[in-house]
Amino acid sequence: MDPLPSRNSRLPLRRADFATVPEILDYAAQGQTGISFYSAKGDLLTALAWREVRERAHVTARKLIGAGFAAGERLLITADTWPGFFDAFFGAQYAGLVPVPVSIPVGIGGKDAYLDQLRRQLVASGAVAAVGIDDLAGFLADAASDLPAVRLHGGKGVLDALPEKAVDLRPLGPADLCYIQFSSGSTRHPHGVQIMQRALMANLAGMTGPAGLDVIPGDRTASWLPLYHDMGLIGFLMAPLSCQLSIDYLTPRDFARRPMQWLNIISRNRGTISYSPSFGYDLSTRRGATQVPADLDLSSWRRAGIGGDMIRPEVLDRFADAFAPSGFDRKAFIPSYGMAEVCLAITFSPKGAGVRTDVVDRVALGKDQAAVPAADPLDAQRARSFVLCGRVLPGHLLEVRGPDGTPLADRQVGRIFIKGPSVMPGYFGEQEASREVLSDDGWLDTGDLGYWLADEIVVTGRAKDLIIINGRNVWPQDIEWAIEARRVVKSGDAAAFSVDTGAGERVVVAVLARVSGPEAGAALAREVAGAVREAIAVDCDVALVPPTTGLPMTSSGKLSRARTKANYLAGLYTSPVSPLKPVAA
Amino acid sequence: MSDLGTGEPLLRTAQLIVENDDVANTLELPRLTSRVDVIREICRHLAPYQAGERPIVGETIIAKDLTIDSLAIMDMVMELEDSFDVSIPMNVVAEIHTVDQLADTILDLRAKR
Repeated sequence: MDPLPSRNSRLPLRRADFATVPEILDYAAQGQTGISFYSAKGDLLTALAWREVRERAHVTARKLIGAGFAAGERLLITADTWPGFFDAFFGAQYAGLVPVPVSIPVGIGGKDAYLDQLRRQLVASGAVAAVGIDDLAGFLADAASDLPAVRLHGGKGVLDALPEKAVDLRPLGPADLCYIQFSSGSTRHPHGVQIMQRALMANLAGMTGPAGLDVIPGDRTASWLPLYHDMGLIGFLMAPLSCQLSIDYLTPRDFARRPMQWLNIISRNRGTISYSPSFGYDLSTRRGATQVPADLDLSSWRRAGIGGDMIRPEVLDRFADAFAPSGFDRKAFIPSYGMAEVCLAITFSPKGAGVRTDVVDRVALGKDQAAVPAADPLDAQRARSFVLCGRVLPGHLLEVRGPDGTPLADRQVGRIFIKGPSVMPGYFGEQEASREVLSDDGWLDTGDLGYWLADEIVVTGRAKDLIIINGRNVWPQDIEWAIEARRVVKSGDAAAFSVDTGAGERVVVAVLARVSGPEAGAALAREVAGAVREAIAVDCDVALVPPTTGLPMTSSGKLSRARTKANYLAGLYTSPVSPLKPVAA
Repeated sequence: MSDLGTGEPLLRTAQLIVENDDVANTLELPRLTSRVDVIREICRHLAPYQAGERPIVGETIIAKDLTIDSLAIMDMVMELEDSFDVSIPMNVVAEIHTVDQLADTILDLRAKR
């Protein structure tokens, strides 16, 4: 088997000027490019030209329509990186169904939490069918067992077994949904972002155009990003497809196991565009830098994007240092900022400029929400570096607003708002949650904090409670419920938040310590950390709060995680011995 | 942080086990790898994360009773998969809690090869 070509021999490159995903695939299918799946050992497992992807999708679509699924109904798909995902996802596009890609289980012992999450996603999306890899057929059956609305569930075989009928295709149109992206809301109350065909097209045009990645003929993409994440699905399926590019895939699991394979694939296939959150660059550097193959050649990589979590300049520096001898150009770095609510991209830093930082004074930042240039940028105690994330995509407006809603000037930290054609109409079936983030005049509250520097945005953190660990969104409620569900502490006795360690986010759980003595305190902390790790595969530090002090509440009597965090940072709570020993070297 | 470098001797150990067991196989012993081998290997990975004086036993719940973090757990599972040349399906991984369950899973998969 040979890798698919990077160029189409006759088909002219069209850069995301389409009206729908089915139209995008119809055009790409006229060329020779497509998707290739690689193993952890770097072997090419399967290659599907876009033409084959489309043919297989048509078959799936006729089966789905023939089985009686009505236009607009939802199809949940566990989004592992394998050909069956593409059959189901694009099959739905041609059958007029709305795909709902969801995650696969993480970590050991995570079954119960995963089933609970699946059930809630099935309910929140009103799914009528649920399919995935064969290994997950049993979990899908369990999750759907109390949900009569789910008429079909199982592994790949359940779709294959449907008879293919001679029916007309019902491709989704420009005014339709494209899919539902679960990336927002806690596990208990998942909010599915409505990715509309039209909004997606607007974002794809921006992303691939001159203000973004500026795709050219011959570009080739590589990705290990999960397809249940918007950066994986929109950034590294929709965007390359919308420009008829070839994509080389490695599963996220195989990337974690062999991060160097990511770079090997780019090297071997002369990849030009690939993205990762900071942690992926970090993992590659830590595990790969000591054993770089002599023939590794990263000189073709012209767009090395960073997004998905806070961008860590020092991590990127180390990566660039480690792989410069292999031809990596640090000017290829493109810091970017976005979220599912805008079909992915909001800003790109200028191409070819690499990572640029602004070094500000920590004290002024914390006290006055002002980004004042640091007097001594090398004073690690006072100085803090932030990465410039570039200008907002053409056709969109961005504002940084103060607490009273007025737009702020340069170097004043406030909440970031965006308006424009990529913005979602709301969360699926969640009017209240939608109203909380979307104003009547179309402004979306990103929940992120940042400031203007000339015409570029600098993201400094989050106003919302969301925690992002290694690119994975974790809602604090899920952590608190995991502890309460195991009856380690009473309901309302735990508050989870993350602190910025400078090297990443660290989860801290503050718990009311209704125990006495350091022994009991340490045991409680261990139990809390163990419960969180087992339920959601997240590591945390534990802070003990004396019951007499209590956890801070908002004026409406809700737990205030922001004030809990402030108290923690002010040293009001005690940390028993860290439940985690340093990782063995 | 464990890496591919430290994985090397492990692989060799596994090959030795296989070779020994090939001999054992000619004596018509049914299992290729003994349970003791697997448990020993798991405990070797987990030893640095023992919590206090509590010994690591078959009933030890890996994510809860030890001080191991989730990344190290994933690393351990991957290294065990490599050294015993098995692939544990994600649905099976999701149902493993204890050292015993992990060992039995590996043995089952080896028996099915």
